[in-house]
Order: sequence, then structure tokens, then C-alpha cells
Amino acid sequence: MSRPVSRFAIIGALLKKELKAYTRDTVYLALTLLVLVAVPVVFRLLPDSVEETITLAVSPPVAEMVDEAKDALRELGAADERLSALDDSDLAEEHEGMVLVEFDDPERMKDVISGTLEAWRTEDGAVVYRGEGGDRPEGAERVTVQVGIEFPRRFISDVASGERDVTVTVYSDAGVPEEIKGAMRSFVREAAYQLAGEQLPVDLPAEEMIILGEDRAGEQVTLQQKMRPLLLFMILMMETFSMASLVSTEVLQRTVTAVLVTPAKVGDFLAAKTIFGTVMSLSQALIVLALIGGVTSQNWSVMLATLLIGSVMFTGVAMFVGSAGKDFMGQLFYAMLFTIPLLIPTISVMFPGSAAPWVRLIPTYPVIDVLVRSTIHGAGWADVWPSLLYATAWLTMLYGAGVVALKRKVESL
Amino acid sequence: MTGPAINVEDLHFSYGDLEAVKGVSFDVRPGEILGFLGPNGAGKSTTIKMLTGQLTPNSGVARVLGIDVSTDDPALQARIGVCFEEKNLYLNMSARENLEFHASLFGIKDANAEEALRRVGLASRAADRVKTFSKGMRQRMMISRAFINKPDVLFLDEPTGGLDPVTSAAIRKTIKEEAERGAAVLLTTHDMFEADELSDRVAFINEGEIVALDTAESLKLTYGTRAVKVRLRDGASVREETLPLGGGGASARLAELAASPDLLTIHTEEATLEQVFIRLTGRGLEG
Repeated sequence: MSRPVSRFAIIGALLKKELKAYTRDTVYLALTLLVLVAVPVVFRLLPDSVEETITLAVSPPVAEMVDEAKDALRELGAADERLSALDDSDLAEEHEGMVLVEFDDPERMKDVISGTLEAWRTEDGAVVYRGEGGDRPEGAERVTVQVGIEFPRRFISDVASGERDVTVTVYSDAGVPEEIKGAMRSFVREAAYQLAGEQLPVDLPAEEMIILGEDRAGEQVTLQQKMRPLLLFMILMMETFSMASLVSTEVLQRTVTAVLVTPAKVGDFLAAKTIFGTVMSLSQALIVLALIGGVTSQNWSVMLATLLIGSVMFTGVAMFVGSAGKDFMGQLFYAMLFTIPLLIPTISVMFPGSAAPWVRLIPTYPVIDVLVRSTIHGAGWADVWPSLLYATAWLTMLYGAGVVALKRKVESL
Repeated sequence: MTGPAINVEDLHFSYGDLEAVKGVSFDVRPGEILGFLGPNGAGKSTTIKMLTGQLTPNSGVARVLGIDVSTDDPALQARIGVCFEEKNLYLNMSARENLEFHASLFGIKDANAEEALRRVGLASRAADRVKTFSKGMRQRMMISRAFINKPDVLFLDEPTGGLDPVTSAAIRKTIKEEAERGAAVLLTTHDMFEADELSDRVAFINEGEIVALDTAESLKLTYGTRAVKVRLRDGASVREETLPLGGGGASARLAELAASPDLLTIHTEEATLEQVFIRLTGRGLEG
């Protein structure tokens, strides 16, 4: 004869069973271990710094152009002040964020930019070349050039003497953004103005640039930092598949019916599924978070709250998906149907500023938004509470839909 | 408990427009096995679902152990055992774990899973996952699970369906043991042999209605045809003659045949439950 049993004891028994079912399934287990290992590894493999310099190639070398210009201008009777001014030209100076590589032969420069020839800079600063099958130069560092400018040999003298019909060719790798190409054209024009002894028809304030918002000069957001919230989000989503599969198995094999003819009620069953799904996804996210970093004394509570909201939200989705599918393929179909749209807001992590207004209406948007702002920009409660409130509203709707769908499914068996 | 363990009065249930159970009434006493006999779709499983709290009756009253089943009282579920037709076991858990989990839902901490498995001949497979079990072994697991809380009322839905004779006999033996312990058993089946062998009484259910409810013997006597079959030598072949008992002139003819030198055998003929069912409903049990 059995004794009266408390709801806590029943939910505890159901949770113990859930854990057994989860750990006994090699697919779930393998998936979990893979996520826990692969995510931190992938994270570590991502670049943890931002390439802040651009390597610019010029041909011919600036010194040669200056010497040619001096000779030419001297013959034209130019004053010594004018000639010495050429030496002061900063055309050959390496500005912050720009490395200059000079090529004698413009054809070689083009080959290096197009990738058919490798350029290596030796310890003494000389550039050596390596063709296909050639030996790697010892003690040299590979120089990757994306943009090159081919000046006419008489560029400086022509410009300085007021010649208007001077053509400069800018070569660029196919992957160079249009903005950089534009900047190079501007650089050439500025150099021409300078060499011609004219002032740019633009007034710049004494302070060169005013940064609006947080000045991240020298500490740009790395790919690692960008990917951190995305990886956390992916973990929450991956758990949806496992949880949906657990729910679906219970429904399709009708084991839940056997549970519900005991003192356990539908509410106990739903509570156990909710707790288990939430704990599984939250714990995995927290483990990975500990491994990939991103938690500070300022943002830990925001991170915890956001991941908790995300975990419950995806548990609700899993309940819905698990109760909708009539078989494995059906469940997979519903899982894809619901999770792919929920993934869309993550694109805004990869491409900041790309979130269209309608993307903000997707339930997962506020979750990913808070994760990004918290991990990358150190946002605190004061900054993110409206987003968290919005996420909680979506959570209530999604979880409610999941619970109602699963309850109806279970009761109809 | 002095009253019936199960008391059902004018129970109705519909799936949408389809009326599956139409005013069913019956009682089952403690220690009694009531066989619920009927073809597929007759309303047997729907009745069990209402009695175990899985479905709420549209109308009528059903009490199990004095508790109205529509009240969703956990005290009721604590005292019943259910064996489903579908083998809904946790396949990735061992036999022992399945029983211990089920027992824990009843608040039983010291479930003697080994003893429960021994009763159904599965003690040696206690640690094996259920997914490695044969169909017959899984069915024995289902029976074992239904008994784990020593229930006062057992609902057994086709407990030997599709099993071999040896496994079926083993399961019937354990069902009888439970009834002898004092449990009321409601057994649904469309196996007339099983119903005949196990049941103290049999209820015929057809199209949602109970068309007859009595002991198997009484049903056969009431609705069957009693007869005597006589086999006689007829030259090189054998001739049979059937004499209805109680019919006019049957006794005189039987005496005449009994005195014949060609007489080979005399057998009494008794109606089967299936014949009774067909006579009552105009359809067979396998439909």
C-alpha cells in the first residue's frame, strides 16, 4: 500500500527519470559533450585581435620620385625652399594604421596584390619575392598587400609644376571594401594638393576627430567578442532539439500516459519538463560562459537573468515542437520551422546595424540584444532593463504556448 | 471495504459526434475478476480510461474505491494499477529502473523490484534495458509495473494480446494471484478463452453498450444451445448426429443410438462465449 506522496517528491522522481533518459541517449549525450568541448575550442580559434593597419603599396618608391622631382624642378629653376619642401612631404611617412611597401616594378606590385606573387619583408626592411614553388625566405615576414598605387615616375614634378593631366592608378584586391578604395583615391588627391603647394579647400577643427559614444580606438571589437553572445545563444538553441526530442519520445511512446495514471498530474509532468529543460540549457550556457569568459562583476547578474530567460523561452519552444511532431521527421520539421526564424536576430551580431525593424519583433531579438550589449559593451541593468522586459513578455507567450500545446497533447492521448 | 470496488452507473462518453460509451452500468467486487469482452471499438478502452481518470465522463457516475473518478483525486490513483494495451515502458531504462521509477511516483521508496520481476519471470534480466526485451517480456514488465503499488483495483487492457500460450498462461496466473490477494480486476479482452478462464463474471460490450453481464457459465447456459454429438460407424466411414438437449424426442433417440452396435463416441456440446456473443450482437469478437 502506497503512502500519500508530495508534489515535490513526484517532480523529483520525474526529474531523476528525465536525467536518466537524457544520459542514456547517446545522441543527446554526444551532442551535449560536443557543444561543451567544441564551442570553447572554436571560440579560442577565432581571432582575438583586430587588424587595425592597412598595408599600402606604392610604385615607384617615393624617394625615387622625390629625386626625379628635385632634378626636374631644379632644371626649371625652382627655389631651394621649394626643393627642400619636397623632402618634408609626408608621402613616404607611415601614418598610424598604415604600412607602406614600396615596389620598384609596378608589375610586381600588381602580381603581389592579385596573389600570384608573394612579397616578404626581411629583417633589414628589404622586400623579397617568392614565386610559385620558391623557397620561403628565412627570417622574413609575409607582407599582404591589398591596395597599391602606381604613380607616374614624374608624378611629383608634374604635379608640383602645375601639370593637370596626371593619371594615378589604384589597384586593389577584389575583397577590399569600397570605402577603402575611396579612401585611397582621397589619399592620392591629398598628396597631389600637398605636392602642388596648395592647401586643401577644407577646414578641419583643431581636434582632428570627435568620437561620439564610447571611443574604442585601439580596442576594437574582435571576432571572438562578437561571437561570444552568438555562441551562448546557439547553446540555448541546441538544447531545444534535445528537449523537443525528449518530449516527443514521451508523447509518441505514450510513457506519459503511464505516469498520469499514478498520483502524478499533468502539472507535475509539465513542471518537471520545464525545470529539466531550463536547467540543462542554462547550465551548459554557464559552463561555456565560464570557459570563454565575458562575465564581469558588473554584468554577471544581467548575463544570468538573460540566459535564464533564454533557457525558459527555448524550453517552451521545445515543448511546442515536441508535442507538434507526430514522428521524428515531423518533429524535425517543426524544430526547423520554429528555430530558423528565431536565429535571424543573431545576424545582427555578425553585422552590427543590420537589424531591420521587423527583426526587432522576433522573440529572440531582445535576448541576443542584451547578450551583445552586456558582453561587448558592458551594459548594466540600467541599460538593458527595457529589453529584458520585452524578452520576458515574449518568454511568457512562447512558454505559455508550449505548455498549452503539450498539455493538450498529453490529455488527448 | 464492504461495497463494490468499482461502481459504474449510466456512464456516457463521446469523441465529438461519435458516442463511444452509451450508458454503461456495472459493479466489480473486491477479489472479483470482471471480464470486459467485446470487439475492437466496442468501448472497452474508453471505459477504462474514464475509470482511471484519463478521460472525464460526459455523464453518469463512476466510483472506484468509493471515490468519484471525475474528482481527479490523487488518492484514487494511489490505489489503482493499470496495464495498458500499448507497451509504454521507458526503453532506455532497465527493468529495475522502470519499476523503481514507477514506484517512486506512488511514494514507495523501498519497492522490491527484484521480487516484482521474479513474479513475472524476469528477475535475471533486472539490470537489462527494456529495449532489449522481446514482446512477451515487455508485456510481463507491463503486468509487473501495474502490480508494483499492490493496488486495490487493477485495470488490465488486453494483458495477453498477441502473446504465446506459455507467456499468456504465466500472466493469467499472476492476475489470479492478485485477485486472490483481494484486488478487484477489470479485464478487457477479446480472447474468449482468457475471459472464460479468468473471469468470475463476463460483460459483453458492443457499440458502447453492455448487452449481457453474468458468469460465463450462466451466459453459455442462457444463450447457448446444449446438445449431444454422437459418432457412429457407417460402413467404411463415420457418421455424426447432433441431438439438442431438452428438445422433443431427443432422449428417446439418444437411447436408441446408445444401444446401436455402430456407436463410436458420445460428447456433450457446450456453447462458447463467442457463440453467445454472436447470438447476442450478430457480430464476432475479432471485428
